[in-house]
Amino acid sequence: MSKVVITGLGLVTPVGIGVKESWASFIRGRDGGNEMKSFDTSLYKIHRSCEVKNFHLDVELENQIRENTIHKYVYSAAREALQESGLLGDEKFDRERFGIAIGTLAAELTPHERLLRLDTSRKDNGFDKTVAAVYPPNSITNILAKYFDFEGPAMISLNACSSGNHAIAWAYDLLTENKLDVVMVGGGDMIPQTEFTHFHNLKALTPERCQPFDKNRQGLMIGEGAGILIMERGEFAKKRGATIIAEMAGYGLSCDGFHMTAPHPEGEGAVKCMSDALKMARLSGADIGYINAHGTGTPHNDKAETTAIKRVFKEHAYRIPCSSTKSMIGHLMGAASTVESVICCLVLRHGILPPTIHYETPDPECDLDYIPNISRELKVKHVLNNSFAFGGNNATTIFSSV
Amino acid sequence: MKKRVVVTGMGVVSPLGCTKEEFWDNLLNGKSGIEPMTTLDLSPYKCKLGGEVRDLHPEIHLGSKGLKYLNKGTRFLGSAAKMALNDAQLPPDGSLSDQMGVVIGSSLGNFSETTDYFYEIIRNNPSELSPMLSYDVALNSSINYVSVVFKIKGLARTISSGFTSSVDAVGNAFTMIQRDMARVIITGGVEQISIDLYLIFYIRGLLSGLDGKREGSTPFDKERNGFVMSEGSYVVILEELQHALDRGAHIYAEIRGFGNTFVGGRDYSQEERIRRAEKAMYYALEDANIKKEDINIIGANANGCQMQDAVEAKAIQSFYGPASQHIPVSAIKSNIGESYGTAGAAQVISTIMSMNTGTVPYIINYKERDPEISLNLISETPLKRDIRNAMINNFDYEGNNSCLIVSNFNG
Repeated sequence: MSKVVITGLGLVTPVGIGVKESWASFIRGRDGGNEMKSFDTSLYKIHRSCEVKNFHLDVELENQIRENTIHKYVYSAAREALQESGLLGDEKFDRERFGIAIGTLAAELTPHERLLRLDTSRKDNGFDKTVAAVYPPNSITNILAKYFDFEGPAMISLNACSSGNHAIAWAYDLLTENKLDVVMVGGGDMIPQTEFTHFHNLKALTPERCQPFDKNRQGLMIGEGAGILIMERGEFAKKRGATIIAEMAGYGLSCDGFHMTAPHPEGEGAVKCMSDALKMARLSGADIGYINAHGTGTPHNDKAETTAIKRVFKEHAYRIPCSSTKSMIGHLMGAASTVESVICCLVLRHGILPPTIHYETPDPECDLDYIPNISRELKVKHVLNNSFAFGGNNATTIFSSV
Repeated sequence: MKKRVVVTGMGVVSPLGCTKEEFWDNLLNGKSGIEPMTTLDLSPYKCKLGGEVRDLHPEIHLGSKGLKYLNKGTRFLGSAAKMALNDAQLPPDGSLSDQMGVVIGSSLGNFSETTDYFYEIIRNNPSELSPMLSYDVALNSSINYVSVVFKIKGLARTISSGFTSSVDAVGNAFTMIQRDMARVIITGGVEQISIDLYLIFYIRGLLSGLDGKREGSTPFDKERNGFVMSEGSYVVILEELQHALDRGAHIYAEIRGFGNTFVGGRDYSQEERIRRAEKAMYYALEDANIKKEDINIIGANANGCQMQDAVEAKAIQSFYGPASQHIPVSAIKSNIGESYGTAGAAQVISTIMSMNTGTVPYIINYKERDPEISLNLISETPLKRDIRNAMINNFDYEGNNSCLIVSNFNG
C-alpha cells in the first residue's frame, strides 16, 4: 500500500485569508465572531456568527464563480494549497490521475436563498442559466477541475459536519490503492439562513462567544470558510521532489445510529471512530500528541466527546492536549473538518498547539487539558482530528510528522 | 487480500412500482412509468411528463409513528432500505450494528424541502418556527434517518457526484467492504421530483420536449431530444462473501469492479468525452480482472440526450470493437426516465434481475435507428440470455463517467 502525504495547505477562515494570516490568529487566540452581516437577524435572538472578513479575489473569474461566494472561498484556498505543493500550473503530469474530493453541508443554499429573497411569490423567478449552474454541490468540483486542470474523478461528500473528513478518507483510499496520484481535498461552506434558523430554533446557538468545554458553554457559533489539503501518493511526491508537510496515518468512520440531532450520550460512535483511526494508523493512544476536538461548544457534544476521549485513551486522556479551534472560528459545518485537518498539519509543522479560547470555568464533566486560552509550544508526532456530525455521522483522521 | 463482495438484498421504490417484483414485471412487460406529472403545477412550462412514484405506502415499511416529519425522499429511501434488508433477511435491529454501514448517492435530495423551509423563514417570524420543520431538510438527513431507524453504527456516507451519485455510492461501498471497513453496506440512491429540480433541468435545456417536438423517454432513438425526469429509491445490500455464506444468505450476484473518469468543468470535445468514457470501462474491467470478451450485457446509461447517448454508443463501439455489434445493450431509462442520483442503482438492480432470470428487458419507445449508433440494442421483446458478466454505465454529461462490473455468483 502506498503512503499518503500532504504537500499543500490552503485556508479561508473568519480569522484570516490564507494559511499565514489564519495561523497567526490561531496561535494568538483571536476571536473570529462578529455581528451577522450576510442577512438581517433582527427577528432572531442570536445575532453573531463567524463570517469571513475582507475577502477579495485578485483574479477575474467567470460569472459562475461570482454568483456563489463559496466557490470563491474554495477556489482561493485551493490556489494557495496548490501553490505550496508546487503543482499550480504544472504540466508535467498525467492530470487524469489528479482527483478532487470536496465536503460541504449546503453549498447550493446561499445562492438559492438570494434568489428566493428577490421574489417570494414565484419560485422560478430570477432563475437563470448561470445560477442554475452553481446549484448542485458538484458544481464546486467542476469549477476546481476547470481552473486547476484536474481531470480525475471527483467526489462530493455531503455528511454535514463530518463531510471534510469523509472526503479525506475517500482520497486516502484512492491514493493508497494507487488509483490516483494527487487529490485536492477540502471543504467549503457559507452561512445560509436556513442553517442558521435550524440551529437557532434547536437552541444550539451561543449568543456572544463560543466556549467549548467551559462549564457555562451555551452552544455553537456558525462560521464560514474553506480549507484545502493537497494529498499525494508518497512515492509520487517524493519522485517529483515535493516538500512534505505531513503524512496521513489513517482514519476511522462510524455512525451513532442513535438520534437525528443529539449525539450518543456515552459517545459510542465517537469511541469507535477514534479507535478505528488509531488501528488503521497502527498507533496506540499514548502516541497521540494533540487532539483537535470536534468541540462545538454545545453542552451535549463537549461532554460526550470528553467521555469518548477518556474511553479511548484511558489514563493517557489527561496527558494529551486537546483544543477546540471552534472557539475562535466557529463551526464551519461542511468545511469544519478540513479546516481543522489543515490546522493539525500546521501543528505538526510549527510545534505550536492552538488554544481553546473563552475558557473560564472548568466543568467537572469536561476535565481534560483543553489548552485554555493560550497557545502552547510543543513538538508532537501524531495528531488526531475529530468530527462528529448531526445525525451521529462521525469521522476521525490522524496525521503524523514525517 | 481484498474481500469479495456480493449482493444479498434489493429494494425498489420506483415509478414502475414499489416492490422489486412489480418493478421487474413491469420492465419485462415493456411498461412505462412516465406520465403527465400530477404533483407539480407545470401549466407555464412546455415539458409535462415525469416518472413519479405512485402508491408507496411507507407506513407498511416504517410504521406510522413520526412519519409526518419525514419528507418524500426519506420515505422513499427508508422504504427501499427496509425492503432490501428484509430481502436479505437481515434483522433491522442493530444486531450487526458495528459491521454495518450505509452509503447513499443523491444529487439534490431534499432541495425542495429546503426551499419550502426557507419560504417559511422569510414569510414568518423565523425564530418562532418549530424545530421539527427542519427535522428532515438537510441534504443528507434521509441517510441519517436510515442509520437511526436501522441502528447502523459502522459508517454513514452521502455521495453527491451529480448523475453518477448512486453508482459512485455502490462503487464506494464495494471498495469499503473489499478493504474490510464494513461487512454489510446498505447502498444505492434516492431522488425526488420537485419544481426546483424541474426548473434547473428546464433552464439548462435538458428536458425532452423543450424543442417543441415529441416529448418522451427515448434512449438511443434518432428522434431523441432530452430526458424525462423521474424519482425513486433503489437500494442494494452489499455483503462480504464469507459473512453472507456463514449466515446462509441468498446471493444474487457479485460486484467485481468499479472504475471512473471525469469530463467535468470544461467543454471537452466529443472525441475526448468518448475516450474518457472508454477509459472508465477499461478501469472497471481492470479492477474486476475480467476481459472485455467476457462481458455478455451492457446496462446503458442512455437517457435520450442527443449528445450523451451518442458519446456512450460510440464509446461502446470503440471499446468493444466488432464485438459491440453483438453484445446486447439494455436501457431501462426508456421505462423509468432519468432519476439522476439514483438511476445507476436502478440499472444495477435491473441487471441483477436479468442475471437471475436469464431475461433482459427491452428498450421501449425505440422507433427509429440513429445512423450514428450501431449497437445491438434490445428492442421489441425481452431477450432470453444467460448472463455471466455485466457492465453498467452511469455517466454525467458534466461530471464522472462511472462504470460497474457485476457477475453471476458461482462460488
